[in-house]
Amino acid sequence: MDMEEQEEQSPLFKKWGTWYRLVIGFLVLLILFFYFLTKHFS
Amino acid sequence: MSRPDWIVLVLTLLGIIAYGLYKSRTSRDLDGYFLANRSVPWYMVLLGIMGTQASAVTFLSAPGQAYTDGMRFVQYYFGLPLAMVVLCITFVPAFHRLKIYTAYEFLEQRFDLKTRTLTSFLFLLQRGLSTGISISAPSIILSSLLGWDIIWTNIFMGGLLIIYAVTGGARAIAYTQQLQLIIIFAGMFVAGYMVIHRLPEGVGLSEALHIGGKAGKLNIITTGISENGFDWNDRYNLFSGIIGGFFLALSYFGTDQSQVGRYLTARSVSESRLGLLMNGFVKVPMQFFILLLGVLVFTFYQFNPEPVFFNQAQLDLLSRSKYKDSLVLLERSYAETEALRIKHVTASSSLQVQQITAAKDGYRSTVKRWLKDKEVGGDDNDTNYIFLRFVFDYLPKGLIGLLIAVIFLAAWGSISATLNSLSSCTIVDFHKRFSKPLSQEKEFRLSRIYTFFWGVFCVAVAQLAYNLGNSLIEAVNVLGSLFYGVILGIFLVAFYRKRVGATAVFISAIITEAFVILLNVLGRKGIVSLSFLWFNLVGAVGVVLLSELIQKFMKKAPVAAASPE
Repeated sequence: MDMEEQEEQSPLFKKWGTWYRLVIGFLVLLILFFYFLTKHFS
Repeated sequence: MSRPDWIVLVLTLLGIIAYGLYKSRTSRDLDGYFLANRSVPWYMVLLGIMGTQASAVTFLSAPGQAYTDGMRFVQYYFGLPLAMVVLCITFVPAFHRLKIYTAYEFLEQRFDLKTRTLTSFLFLLQRGLSTGISISAPSIILSSLLGWDIIWTNIFMGGLLIIYAVTGGARAIAYTQQLQLIIIFAGMFVAGYMVIHRLPEGVGLSEALHIGGKAGKLNIITTGISENGFDWNDRYNLFSGIIGGFFLALSYFGTDQSQVGRYLTARSVSESRLGLLMNGFVKVPMQFFILLLGVLVFTFYQFNPEPVFFNQAQLDLLSRSKYKDSLVLLERSYAETEALRIKHVTASSSLQVQQITAAKDGYRSTVKRWLKDKEVGGDDNDTNYIFLRFVFDYLPKGLIGLLIAVIFLAAWGSISATLNSLSSCTIVDFHKRFSKPLSQEKEFRLSRIYTFFWGVFCVAVAQLAYNLGNSLIEAVNVLGSLFYGVILGIFLVAFYRKRVGATAVFISAIITEAFVILLNVLGRKGIVSLSFLWFNLVGAVGVVLLSELIQKFMKKAPVAAASPE
């Protein structure tokens, strides 16, 4: 990790990794929700 | 169009141009013109990224796509959030640290001049042509629906934005994209409300979704797997969306200057990252809602007469052909069938509705077959006309003007950012790189001239595309998927394979590009069955593996000049 990255803290969370996990988690939730919609309305 | 529609349309477009000019104040150097002095907050980066990706065709095509093929197209975007994460970890910090203007500058620092020049040239070629098409496609639709002259429509679609794109550069583009997206979302929201509002009494959103679902339009998740195994030629399914879509999004957002130029305007690495990550949150839901609009329009037409073909200009073409008498008879029978179908839909007699719908589909197929006749030479695909035809036939005065403005603004947001990026590559990667040092003022003036030049070039390509018809449009659409994977492969080697040097990556890029083109040729001849989304994966992985292999046979391991860490 370089100096610039150390200086630039992630907003809201301590680490950027939390943001990345949130984005991926949200995608998984969306796919599950879409799967539910597909089954429910088919 | 009525007078209120014209007033809304003209005022909206003039308002955007005036706002763009008002926000044109910038420092007279490359930093100000191409990067807005690296001062943009994350939410404007987000809107810039979204406004650049969403072209006019996005808002015209997607509802029609859902209407005909269902909502499975949304899976095309599943790889995008994953790509945003990879970009934030690797690409964004490297680009910011090196203080570059174009993504391809990074390649010279990491590899050599020829690699930078090759990728920048591929970008200019592919993006210059495809931007012409993105002007042409909505212009053809509007001129066909409204009877406007195609030359003037192309000039308005691709030319008026040049005023603020040339004058204010990245800053004016960022501010206008912000306003454009607000108007676009408001317009689409009102259109969605109006569709639901016009459904019969007792049919709300839930009932509309059930009707769409029964007709197979809510096929949001599909696997592409059947009794015969996985269909590699199936464009939109969960796997092609996540894997193919990931590589496509990574190459588009990581190596296409029209996108890189947006997040380089951010005031810090954090602001760039936040803009990209928020795009990862909102892009899939946004596409979902645009597609949902198509399903709602489909439900609307279950209770209202559906045109036998949505593109009236093509029906007019048939009425001047050898099929003119047959068309009159067909339209008469079709109208009777539609009246009968709506009567049974309202009475909920599902068996009769199925039989009548099958007959109705038969009429549509006949019209398409006539249009495909070489003597007629028509276009048998009316998907892009479905949404606008609904707008013209059923929405109130004023709102039609607003939705036409939405089409223009979506085009302008995307094209203006692209002109800025084409200009930045031309001056930074070519003019400045291969000529004597220039003063800041001269660089600034040249940047404006190149922006203007690319604007005129793209409008000219749009006109050429209209004259040559579908063949050029298809060719340019394929062109992007042919090059994106290879360009991404070069960047992936730059970031992740430090042992690999310039010559190895250059040779592997040329060989892989030839292989991808061969795959496309074999696909067209029916020898290979592979959807275009997979070309991105083949290109990227091919360059990475081949460059490793070639490097092993070379005598000396290179030293990376600009390592990403």
